[in-house]
Amino acid sequence: MSAADSYAELVAATNFSFLRGAAHPQHMVLTALLLGQTGLGIADRNTVAGVVRAHCALKDLRADGVPPPEKLRDGSGPGEYVFVEHPLTGKMPVSRDELRRMACDFKLVVGARLVFADGTPDIVAYPVDRAGWGRLCRLLSIGKRRGKKSECILRVDDLLADPSGLLLIVMPPRRLDGLPSLLDRLASAAPGAVWLAAAMHRRGDDRRRLARLRGVAGAAAVPLLAVNDALYDEPGARDLQDILTCIREKVTIDRAGRRLEVNAERYLKRPAEMARLFRDAPDAVAETQHLLARIDFSLDDLRYDYPDEPVPPGWEAADWLEEVTWRRAAMRYPGGLPDRVKAQLEEELALIKRLQYERYFLTILDIVRVAEDKGILCQGRGSAANSAVCYVLGITAVDPAENDLLFARFVSTERREPPDIDVDFEHERREEIIQHIYEKYGRDRAGIVATVISYRPRSAMREVGKALGLTADVTSRLASTQWGSWGNEIRDAHVRQAGLDPDNPLIRQALGLAGRLLGFPRHLSQHVGGFVLARGRLDELVPIGNAAMKDRTFIEWDKDDIDALELMKVDVLALGMLTCIRKSFDLLHRHGIGDYALHDIPRDDPAVYDMLCKADSLGVFQVESRAQMNMLPRLKPRELYDLVIQVAIVRPGPIQGDMVHPYLKRRAKLEDVTYPSPAPEHGPADELYQVLNKTLGVPLFQEQAMRMAMVAAKFTDPEANQLRKAMATFRHVGTIGHFEEMMVERMVRRGYERAFAQRFFEQIKGFGSYGFPESHAASFAKLVYISSWIKCHHPAVFACALLNSQPMGFYAPAQIVRDAQEHAVEVRPVDINHSLHDCALEERDDGALALRLGFRQVDGLGEEAGTALTERRGLGYSSVEELARRTRLPLRILRRLADADAMRSLGLDRRDALWAVRRLPNDAPLPLFAAADACELGDEPPADLAPMRLGEHVAADYQTVRLSLKAHPMGMLRPIFAAERIATCAGTSAMPNGAAARTAGIVLVRQRPGNGNAIFITLEDETGVTNVVLWARLFERFRREVMAARVLLVEGEVQKSPEGVVHLMAHRVFDRTEVLKQLSDTHDVTLELSRADEFNHPQHPRGPSSHPRNVRILPRSRDFH
Amino acid sequence: MTAYPLPTPRRYLALWFPFLPAERRERAATEAGVWPADAPLVLTDSVKGARRLAAVSRKALKLGLSPGLTLADARAAVPHLLALDHDPAADAALIDRVLDDCLRWTPLVALDPPHGLMLDITGCAHLFGGETATRERVLHRLRGGRFTVRGSIAGTPDAARALARFGRVALVAPGGEAQAVRPLPITALELSDETTTALRRAGFKRIADLADRPSAPLTGRFGTELTTRLTRLLGREDRRITPSRPLPACVVEQAFAEPIGHADAIARVLRALIERACAHLEERGEGGRAFEASFLRVDGVVRHIIARTGRPVRDADTVTRLFRERIEALADPLDPGYGFDLVRLALSVTEPLESLQPDLDGKAIEADEVADLIDRLTARFGAVRVLRFVAADTHDPVRVARLVPATSQMPDQGGGRAIASASWMRPEPGEPPPRPLRLFEPPQAVEAVAEVPDGPPIRFRWRGALHDVARAEGPERLLTEWWRGHDRPARDYYRIEDGQGRRFWLFREGFYGGDASPRWYLHGLFA
Repeated sequence: MSAADSYAELVAATNFSFLRGAAHPQHMVLTALLLGQTGLGIADRNTVAGVVRAHCALKDLRADGVPPPEKLRDGSGPGEYVFVEHPLTGKMPVSRDELRRMACDFKLVVGARLVFADGTPDIVAYPVDRAGWGRLCRLLSIGKRRGKKSECILRVDDLLADPSGLLLIVMPPRRLDGLPSLLDRLASAAPGAVWLAAAMHRRGDDRRRLARLRGVAGAAAVPLLAVNDALYDEPGARDLQDILTCIREKVTIDRAGRRLEVNAERYLKRPAEMARLFRDAPDAVAETQHLLARIDFSLDDLRYDYPDEPVPPGWEAADWLEEVTWRRAAMRYPGGLPDRVKAQLEEELALIKRLQYERYFLTILDIVRVAEDKGILCQGRGSAANSAVCYVLGITAVDPAENDLLFARFVSTERREPPDIDVDFEHERREEIIQHIYEKYGRDRAGIVATVISYRPRSAMREVGKALGLTADVTSRLASTQWGSWGNEIRDAHVRQAGLDPDNPLIRQALGLAGRLLGFPRHLSQHVGGFVLARGRLDELVPIGNAAMKDRTFIEWDKDDIDALELMKVDVLALGMLTCIRKSFDLLHRHGIGDYALHDIPRDDPAVYDMLCKADSLGVFQVESRAQMNMLPRLKPRELYDLVIQVAIVRPGPIQGDMVHPYLKRRAKLEDVTYPSPAPEHGPADELYQVLNKTLGVPLFQEQAMRMAMVAAKFTDPEANQLRKAMATFRHVGTIGHFEEMMVERMVRRGYERAFAQRFFEQIKGFGSYGFPESHAASFAKLVYISSWIKCHHPAVFACALLNSQPMGFYAPAQIVRDAQEHAVEVRPVDINHSLHDCALEERDDGALALRLGFRQVDGLGEEAGTALTERRGLGYSSVEELARRTRLPLRILRRLADADAMRSLGLDRRDALWAVRRLPNDAPLPLFAAADACELGDEPPADLAPMRLGEHVAADYQTVRLSLKAHPMGMLRPIFAAERIATCAGTSAMPNGAAARTAGIVLVRQRPGNGNAIFITLEDETGVTNVVLWARLFERFRREVMAARVLLVEGEVQKSPEGVVHLMAHRVFDRTEVLKQLSDTHDVTLELSRADEFNHPQHPRGPSSHPRNVRILPRSRDFH
Repeated sequence: MTAYPLPTPRRYLALWFPFLPAERRERAATEAGVWPADAPLVLTDSVKGARRLAAVSRKALKLGLSPGLTLADARAAVPHLLALDHDPAADAALIDRVLDDCLRWTPLVALDPPHGLMLDITGCAHLFGGETATRERVLHRLRGGRFTVRGSIAGTPDAARALARFGRVALVAPGGEAQAVRPLPITALELSDETTTALRRAGFKRIADLADRPSAPLTGRFGTELTTRLTRLLGREDRRITPSRPLPACVVEQAFAEPIGHADAIARVLRALIERACAHLEERGEGGRAFEASFLRVDGVVRHIIARTGRPVRDADTVTRLFRERIEALADPLDPGYGFDLVRLALSVTEPLESLQPDLDGKAIEADEVADLIDRLTARFGAVRVLRFVAADTHDPVRVARLVPATSQMPDQGGGRAIASASWMRPEPGEPPPRPLRLFEPPQAVEAVAEVPDGPPIRFRWRGALHDVARAEGPERLLTEWWRGHDRPARDYYRIEDGQGRRFWLFREGFYGGDASPRWYLHGLFA
């Protein structure tokens, strides 16, 4: 290639030009590189959201010579990612070394394509230096802050105000009328930094147009620049780009017409081809190199500092952190600082100082302190959170003395990974913290990290189907087929299963396009709570825009971008359990039981562990799911670290890596705990013991897998990093094979047995990226313990706080109330004369606390009404009319109260109360009567209504408060079932292993965990619960029953584990929902499934109204057995 | 104009199609053989982003799928169900057609939503053999269309409706309504869900539970709505229906003591009726858009012939000509049998039509005449044979012009399907025309010599004559519309001027250096 043929595409869009660009940034970089271009300019429409990915791709190519896999989110928990390899991986046309060399010579420039709202032609802007980058970011921030979410309203004057440090490429519009004057204005504002772009898109008049542009450029003394205005990497992407256009324009493909591109010319072309196309203007091609040479900016230049605020004047950050640490340590350990903790603090402080992370810790301390002042509970977790420093600073409640988690182990000095601390706050009050941060640091210095919302199988299929004009039915069928995971091809069998013909060309086409659309970004949204705070202006680092939520602003980069650029962030997250614990503490205080804080709950209480060993954990943080409850009696936790393991073990990683059973066996002392050693000359015999001793030699945590590779196979940091990436995509035999050999051989060389090395590799392979980090598990375990302690010792308090924190957790109020009753708590019904808005505790004559349900349990009753009822109650309401008169509540609300049977203290049951309430006049009281404050209703003969039967009451209770204290529906129906000789749940549990049983109950939860071999159904009756297991094969036969039944009859065999865990293996199931009619022939009994039900709530248990951003729950637990 | 006598007491036949939306689709599908008839069918609608069942078939209902369920839940329970988009407009159109058909029994037919009709059969029943026989005949006819239909006759529309929808009573003798509705559930009152629940909570389950109670306490608690409905349901209050098909704007008819059968006589009668109708229109300053002639045979068979026009008309000659052409073009001719005893002409659609002074340039008249011609041609040959060009929104030069029925783009055409009309591609000011006005279809093969890879031809031979290219511009690369399935190589188009100044539009299909050598075609000539 001659120098004259050197070309770099300087106007390239990626798929971050949402619904326009049709290629990932990584692919654009790789393709440009392989085509022999000397560089590439990425410029998306009013955004720099995609540039970090392009930047990282190039970095990886320079380092590894292998294109990086694409990282896609597969859930909302830590580590829930799927990696998809580049399609060319393994069949690259050049060798790795060659590619590495090419990558080193390749120059990536990043900028943005400014699209103006005032009719000015698009202008592509590239910063020449850090200052220019700052200007571009500010410019985009100005535009973004003007508009709503996802909008950017820019005017050319915004650019002209100060274009210094920017190189500007004017994209000529179809008609060139206004171009000369624009060029003049730009050229005088930014002398020597303006180009006029020309493209040859085979539109027929290309050459004539080129000549004309040349004239215009010449007249303005602006150089002409050859571009191809690329929208995708290779011409085959045209169909996908057309589909994107259809999605954007909301039309079907056959109606899109001229909104589509006329041909497929907007791909990255070979330099020789560009030179040929521009043979009339070779200088325009050469100009690309001049422009490229002018730019001296890379994203690596972005340096970033934590704010100064937390450091008082006159102090250095490091000194201040030390000062605060020691000061607070003395407070934390009033009995004197243990030597071990002192030593650890010293070690950690030294490490922090070396890595210059002081400001990071101080910033988090500052936020935590604000929460303390406001009385909001919070707790940190993450690698850096498990430090003695964090404990003494009050960021976590995990005492390092109690728990030998080593902070230094997780903060790698060499890798310089940014420290990671997530702070959870009470979910109802987190917004206060967020607003405090904005207030304190200002919106130009604080911003929430973005989350890139990408096309997932369903959404991709839906949009493609719509664009291709498939009927909604076909589209939704395709969308609901089981795709397997990302990047997997949808199998013909699945299509057939959906009742469609996989050979139908249209279906093929739709599947193919949807597969390619997978992982394309759709838009940016705000992260659940990741904050970036800057010392200087944040908007000179990255553009900031408005979020959909009021008073929220967020930056354009997501968590991975931030990590890649080694910027630090603080995660401010919401956790429902903290709200519950705070409410429990308040109740304990109010009823004079005691004053508690997170860190001073009595430790190692055997009663608490006894309770957990019985799987009595309903409502307890993290371990309340069916799968966790099954594990508790097997794991038999006796100390806090057991809970750390309990939290992490019921996860896909350990399950798929087959580590659960070995661990349980070792724990039950059925198997010896051994630690293979290397040959003596290669290292200490206990090197693996150091890594694995706390988990009895079985790797259970994410950290352990990497740690083992580094210790046993002596992987270097970069190697371990590559392994991590490769592990995630292990299905591609090519890359993993390489690591397998490397790891096994190295371990064998170091004296490990080959069989062990092999088995160990299989284990961490299964682990993939699904392991759960110990650093998070430790903080969660603390909350497991605290919530268990409250439940164990103060069940009424716990139930009350839990009800008042709804929606959260796995269980519906009905189950929480029932659980409280089983723990000897008296539960009292909602009543206008006794209830508060929230559930409350009432002292009984015997001194015990009874739980009084609050008005919040009544459907359709807002806090305002609840408060009005309480405030105007005085000495109590004596009649319906008095109630209406004093509260002035709308009739609608009074009717609901009557309907909820909340007027028993007036001597009225539901029916009588309704009859009375309905008689109240519809509107405000007549003025005359209001003045007299007297009764305006005359006498009326008695109505003689038929009394309401108990069954109807129960049905109505479920309709109005979703639970009934009067009777369990199954209890009322017991005679029917007893006559059929159907056992109760308790009866079934009492049966011996292998007995045949027939049990019926209300369906609480249905789960189809992990590999989907079995369906788990939890049934409830008046005596307890039965856990039913239904094999998938049978599920297909009984699908309708399982999916539709609210009352299910199961025939099967009882299976009892040595620990006493009972399952009913179903052989046949029957839908017995119709028996509910026996309760009431006119009232449907609306039974609520628990929020853990996976079929109704396929994602995570979360409140019906809460936005996913407000909750961050652990990775979905997978049941297993 | 005819006045209908209104005797008392009135009698109503309520009809209800409980599965109309599903059965409409099933019927259409079975006719087209599209899907197996045994699949449970549900029709879905988007409610707040979730797809929910809006209507279900009988089979689906039996499987426990009822409206309101989300499609996901329904499919989870019954994976093999068939879900289609709910199309209330099409259902309404269908019920509208059924309504038209029911006009054979009585002119007083009203829509009774959802999916029902109310027929005022007062004084009509004896024509069809009494009320029971009338009901049978009506239901039989409708079931023939493969629809589930239920019908009840009572003395008030409310009682008839309630019995058809919530009961199993076919016919209630006059005065028996109160007794007949007593066993019905209180849902028959069709009150709001909230009120219905409240009534149940109070222990009222059937109409009988309410019927004997004093109304004041009920009104006080459940609103006047309840008492009004109850009174009507019990037949204590009558309510006239408003026929949905307005009695035609103008009806003229001629009855004969002696049935007529001769074609000439029929034509004469028709002509006379048309003149009378047009005179009415003149008076009102209106024109007719749809003229319906009904020929009632003595044996009860009725034949309707409708003539529609693209614009309002009240010229008797035009209308007569339209009818003549319609009658001549009939596939099965007008058979008088034993003769017609009544001929009726109804104008169902009329629009204002002012007498116009023709414009000086005569353009209006010209447009009128074209419209007139289109009407006549369409009446004679059918709408699909009289076509005009419209622009289509596409890059494909072949598909850019489209033929549509000429009447479909007539001005003032209300209703009907709007034809998506794109703008014709026009050259930018100062630019040459991008495409020739007319294209060769198929393109004509030429032999050409061109510069590789994508240069314009240097010379080419077309119809034996050799053309040297003097000037050329291009390529303009046009690709096939991939979603249409045909896989044709890309075409590079060139605008060519030869030595004589003639201009051509040539293209090369395929590329040099590929598997097959590219071929050249002439696609059109520039004017």
